Amino acid sequence: MSPGIIDIGYTELCFGLFFILMAGIASFVHALKLERDLFIGTLRTFAQLFLLGYILKIIFDIDRMPLVLLVFLFMIFFAAWTIYGRINEKEISFFLPTFFSMTISFFFVTAMVTTVIVGVKPWWKPQYFIPIGGMVIGNSMNAIAISLERLLGDLRSKRKEIEMKLCHGADYKEASRDVLRDAMRAGMIPSINSMMAVGVVFIPGMMTGQILAGANPVEAIKYQIVVMVMIVGATTMGTLSVVLIVRKLCFGKSHQLILRDGKKG
Amino acid sequence: MIKGRSGTGKSSLLRLMNRLEDPREGEMRYKGRAFSAYDPEVIRSTILYIQQTHMVIIGSVKDNLMLPFTFKINRKKTRPDENTLLKLMDEFHLGNIGLDASAGQLSVGQAQRLCLIRGLLLSPEVILLDEPTSALDDESCRIVESSVVRLCLESGKTVIMVNHRKFNSEEITPRTYKLADGGIREET
Repeated sequence: MSPGIIDIGYTELCFGLFFILMAGIASFVHALKLERDLFIGTLRTFAQLFLLGYILKIIFDIDRMPLVLLVFLFMIFFAAWTIYGRINEKEISFFLPTFFSMTISFFFVTAMVTTVIVGVKPWWKPQYFIPIGGMVIGNSMNAIAISLERLLGDLRSKRKEIEMKLCHGADYKEASRDVLRDAMRAGMIPSINSMMAVGVVFIPGMMTGQILAGANPVEAIKYQIVVMVMIVGATTMGTLSVVLIVRKLCFGKSHQLILRDGKKG
Repeated sequence: MIKGRSGTGKSSLLRLMNRLEDPREGEMRYKGRAFSAYDPEVIRSTILYIQQTHMVIIGSVKDNLMLPFTFKINRKKTRPDENTLLKLMDEFHLGNIGLDASAGQLSVGQAQRLCLIRGLLLSPEVILLDEPTSALDDESCRIVESSVVRLCLESGKTVIMVNHRKFNSEEITPRTYKLADGGIREET
């Protein structure tokens, strides 16, 4: 137990299930049919977080760079797989390019934060690299998924406009410039909006955690600011690189739009 | 003129000529050179394809007409001045519409003609028209047909047109080809 934090006992932890019970009763009374999902969700929350806690403890104890990087790669792989599943695109295969560009941009941002901003030594110290990397990956994953959905949807729905531009001599980049811009904006706006609302509308989880662990709120704020700007940077780099690569995959070598109207494969 | 029943590949043929599609087998040639030897952007502004559905972008009539000149490949071409644009608009019976008017307000026939002017500004050698009169009333149809005649006779352009209607012109008799059963033959 960290100094300054009150440990929650297992019995007290089970009291937390009272809130799930309330939600379950509400679901039953109003026929929301969410009881099964609530049950599975609760089980998964307990199982996944306990598993994460024990795995992190092992990784922290082993304290070796290859292991830290392997965990980091696994997290990115899982994020890229989640995006791939959510988009459900059959005409172009974008999993590997997405995974590689996410790896490069997320590694760059996470390493920059641990090395230059936090100044932790060594730069891959698991207590810093894995949680910071996790925040970068988790937040950017949603932004990339939103951007890709928008990009692929717009390339299909605006096919005639894009082809009209191609017919007048535009290359694929010129023909899809507006689509790319809209896709980028769609992905980036949520993280910019959260910078606007942070500290006023909500107190972020990381800062809350540090304060509960006994940190000085002013110190916790500094970390939170780093996290916020880091997320915007990672979102921009990750979204831009993935969207640029996937856009290229959507066009043939003669700059023809490969995606067909109104279907996903 | 290219004719044929639905699904025989008339539009696909035009798209092949413009490299919006590449042939699965065989080779397309233009002036003796394989299509693949040309940059796609160059071949597309030389053999210009005007789609069946008129496509105007959000903005003014002038924004639409000048759109091709915002593309890298066309930046070295002479940009038409306003007088040239107005003269062309007049020739295509759009003289009553200002350059600053919203393109979204144009009727189908007017938008179709605007697309034709936009293509002509690039001075293509060949113009591919995909059923340009299919959605037009008789009056607009007559204007488009007379524009096609003028393109052939006065500007010396080659026009390849997919068309279901009879082409009404006393000045030219188009060569007509029919697509059927996976082949193409000239109609006499």
